Amino acid sequence: MIEGAGPVAAFWGLSVLTLAAAGGVIVSRNLFHAVLFLILVFLGIAGFFLLLSADFLAMAQIIIYVGAIAVLILFAIVLTPRASRDNGETRMAPAALVVAIGVAGLLIPAIADTDWRTLASAPALPLADLGRELLGTWVLPFQLASVLLTAALVGAVMLVRSPREEQEELEEEERR
Amino acid sequence: MTEIRSEPFVVNIGPQHPSTHGVFRIKVTVDGERVIDAEMVMGYLHRSMEKLAEERTYTQNIPFTDRTDYLSSMSNNLGYCLAVEKLAGIEVPPRGNAIRVIMAELQRLASHCMAIGAFANDTGAWQTPVMWTFREREKILDLFEMTSGARLTCNYMRIGGVAFDLPKEFEPACRKLLATFPSFIDELHGLLSENEIFIARTRGIGVISAEQAINASLSGPMLRGSGVAWDIRKADPYCGYEQYDFDIPIGYNGDSYDRFIVRLEEMRQSVRIIEQALDGLPGGPYRTEVPLALRPPKGEAYARIEGPRGELGYYVVSDGGPSPFRFHIRPPSFINLSLLKEMTVGGTVADAIVVLGSVDIVVGEIDR
Amino acid sequence: MSAILLATEHWWDLRDLSNISREILDFLRDVGPDWLAYVVSPLIGFVAAFLIFVLPSQLFVGVYGERRLIGRMQSRLGPNRVGKFGLLQPIADAIKLMQKEAITPRGADKWVMWAAPVVFVAPAVLVWAVIPFGPNMVIADIPVGLVYYLAVAALPVLAAFVAGWSSNNKYSLFGAMRVVAMAISYEVALVLGLLGVVLFTSTLSLQGIVEWQRAHDIWLVFLQPLAFIIYFISASAELNRTPTDIAEAESEIVAGYLTEYSGMKWGLFYGMDIGYALAAAAFGSTVFLGGWSFFGLEKWVPPWLILVAKTHLFYFVFIWTRGTLPRLRIDQLMALAWKYMLPLAALNLLVVAAERLWWHEAELGDGIVYLFAAANIALALLLLVGWARVLGYRPERVPTRPRLVKQAGGYVPPGAELGGGR
Repeated sequence: MIEGAGPVAAFWGLSVLTLAAAGGVIVSRNLFHAVLFLILVFLGIAGFFLLLSADFLAMAQIIIYVGAIAVLILFAIVLTPRASRDNGETRMAPAALVVAIGVAGLLIPAIADTDWRTLASAPALPLADLGRELLGTWVLPFQLASVLLTAALVGAVMLVRSPREEQEELEEEERR
Repeated sequence: MTEIRSEPFVVNIGPQHPSTHGVFRIKVTVDGERVIDAEMVMGYLHRSMEKLAEERTYTQNIPFTDRTDYLSSMSNNLGYCLAVEKLAGIEVPPRGNAIRVIMAELQRLASHCMAIGAFANDTGAWQTPVMWTFREREKILDLFEMTSGARLTCNYMRIGGVAFDLPKEFEPACRKLLATFPSFIDELHGLLSENEIFIARTRGIGVISAEQAINASLSGPMLRGSGVAWDIRKADPYCGYEQYDFDIPIGYNGDSYDRFIVRLEEMRQSVRIIEQALDGLPGGPYRTEVPLALRPPKGEAYARIEGPRGELGYYVVSDGGPSPFRFHIRPPSFINLSLLKEMTVGGTVADAIVVLGSVDIVVGEIDR
Repeated sequence: MSAILLATEHWWDLRDLSNISREILDFLRDVGPDWLAYVVSPLIGFVAAFLIFVLPSQLFVGVYGERRLIGRMQSRLGPNRVGKFGLLQPIADAIKLMQKEAITPRGADKWVMWAAPVVFVAPAVLVWAVIPFGPNMVIADIPVGLVYYLAVAALPVLAAFVAGWSSNNKYSLFGAMRVVAMAISYEVALVLGLLGVVLFTSTLSLQGIVEWQRAHDIWLVFLQPLAFIIYFISASAELNRTPTDIAEAESEIVAGYLTEYSGMKWGLFYGMDIGYALAAAAFGSTVFLGGWSFFGLEKWVPPWLILVAKTHLFYFVFIWTRGTLPRLRIDQLMALAWKYMLPLAALNLLVVAAERLWWHEAELGDGIVYLFAAANIALALLLLVGWARVLGYRPERVPTRPRLVKQAGGYVPPGAELGGGR
């Protein structure tokens, strides 16, 4: 943890920004604006990572969440028909409220009861150690994740091919 | 697997184009990136020239022909004068013919400069080739200004010959141009013809087979690009073309790249013709005297020339009066465009632009 | 650190600009509270990096140089009226754009449309925080500088998409989607290429990469030419520059995601085209061309001048390809990224990893890098040509001259033209 007035101010600023953006996600009527607020939330979380001296995680957060996942969600919104883009009243509102209260009821006592303590000297995890752990101790989950992603990629390509294109490709193969 | 529904939607290319082909509109229906239908809408530049020509005398109609295909005005004038001369039975002196040939071939050079530049622009070469070809075109336009007084709409040919004789500065200036032009064509060859990206953009795009081309009565580089050896200067010579020695370039497959290299080579052949014409320029009168209000005998005549874009034909019907009874232009661009749908369907929109560039249209003569 | 440079510690010695900033900060620490120096130091860095290096580069080399150079390539003069030699042309352009009315279409999303150019400016400004201009001259020497560049490079893609969406225009949306598709394709190749670089330098910080190149007396472009070529093409694609500028020059013939932008908003997009190109050029110079080091020349010449010269050289190559090459189609670009560059980058990674493993396991000396460099250059040339052949690309079979016949006749099938006639 870095001491000083700067990080404290940064912490409070980031908290306000992130919480306001999260509120914006829920409150905004236009689904597109909701996603833009979500991007702000991601950026805020990247800022939090920076405060905790996890520099690589912050950059990875931006590259992965903002650069890829947010774009994915935006594309999904582009492809939804106009009628379902309203983020307003839904029939699920009471159910969502119940679930939210339940989760809050779980988390708030848990947070309150925990003995939060800052370690006196917590070393920032150097990037080399992170890499060694990921490719050493945890190599199996790492490879499983990459297999999963490859399967998703291939599946997406298969889903998008129209029957006409498949027909054309079969004909090309026969011709060759 | 369920099929993901995608809707085709209509994209309007034009009438305001970034690629300078004039006021012309294509309604393209795309499905994703592929074109599935293309419909042309013409008429934005219609000026009813054919009707207006019926009110004016034969000589007064010559400036009209300038403005149909404004990029090859000398050739237009030539075609019209040939039609009227055929109708009235007027002979042109040999010096007049030679000057006509020089001007027509110079005009072919200028028009192809513009066509090649605009075509390269359509493929995205960001105006470098346009600037180079326009630099050469400026020299040709200077020559036109020297002889006829105008750069673009020359109004130089007259019924029975040409309007003015060649000034004495013309020949040295023309020879200077001819000396440097082949090296400029080589430069363009190196910049474009052998450029991998250019070939990738134009090869196999807009293919027309020879049979399709003949059936649709295409002409000019469109026809020759598909491998059909047909050039009116050889098949049906006019103005003494049979005395000059030149070749006709023809392509291989009929795609846009073939049309491009055919145009490039035609420029080389035009330089040959101009050199021969200048060398053998006869003396004597440059024009037969023709009355101002010419009254050709009743009848009809069709004369055709090999314009830069193809077969440019003029059909003139006379009823004995000072004005033509019917005056019709057979524009090469209009006929060449009839296969646009076949050429663009199946490709992408970017390909449609490249195909349109390779057809080399001038909307002035499509709409008249 | 001052042993490598002849620059002294005096504040007026301009060869090491950190002297000035150190004097200012020491002075502030003496007279003011602690936080004043803390706040002022990034400001000084900003002033130095942006106003002294970036903005003049952007104005002069960028807008002016690019237009003059491309003008000369097209055998015409560029802008030369405004100011002496036309040097004030960018100022005139900026003033013109600022007084133009920025029209917002009625159905468009006003705030989002306003925000998109603002986010688009981000990489052109933020990247300069991590570029080292000298041994002591870097605003923020973070240990993950390379990844920082990648993170910042993800932002303009988002901005372009948001710009296209919020314009409420079918064709803008199309153009925006094309931009995103292209950018994410080339980002993969870019990251893999840069990974090869990191394998050798064992550090992600840009200062560390420059130090590695200086210590081993070799530039990474010679050691990894394939990675450099991949970086050049991918950066060109991310920047939407010709020959890969489908996004702004052709999408359905209008200007793609920029269509509905006018006035200074468009000016920002256009200006950042150049600014981001300069940032990418600076990053490329740092990682591949040795940054502020030049095999020992940095002792006499100020290192920041060396870096600026290399950036401009890199940027000149960008301008050169823009003025000469035609544009590729979108499907050709996608094929290039996924079928050609991605396998090449992966192969590069494999080779580089093997080399590094051998280097460190066998405890070979530092001189082995020259052997690696020669081997890599040969391998790069082999792979570039060979992989294209494997993919089925045959460049030489295209006849570039038409056939010539003497007589007019009918159809002449290819191969039967000698003699012509029917």
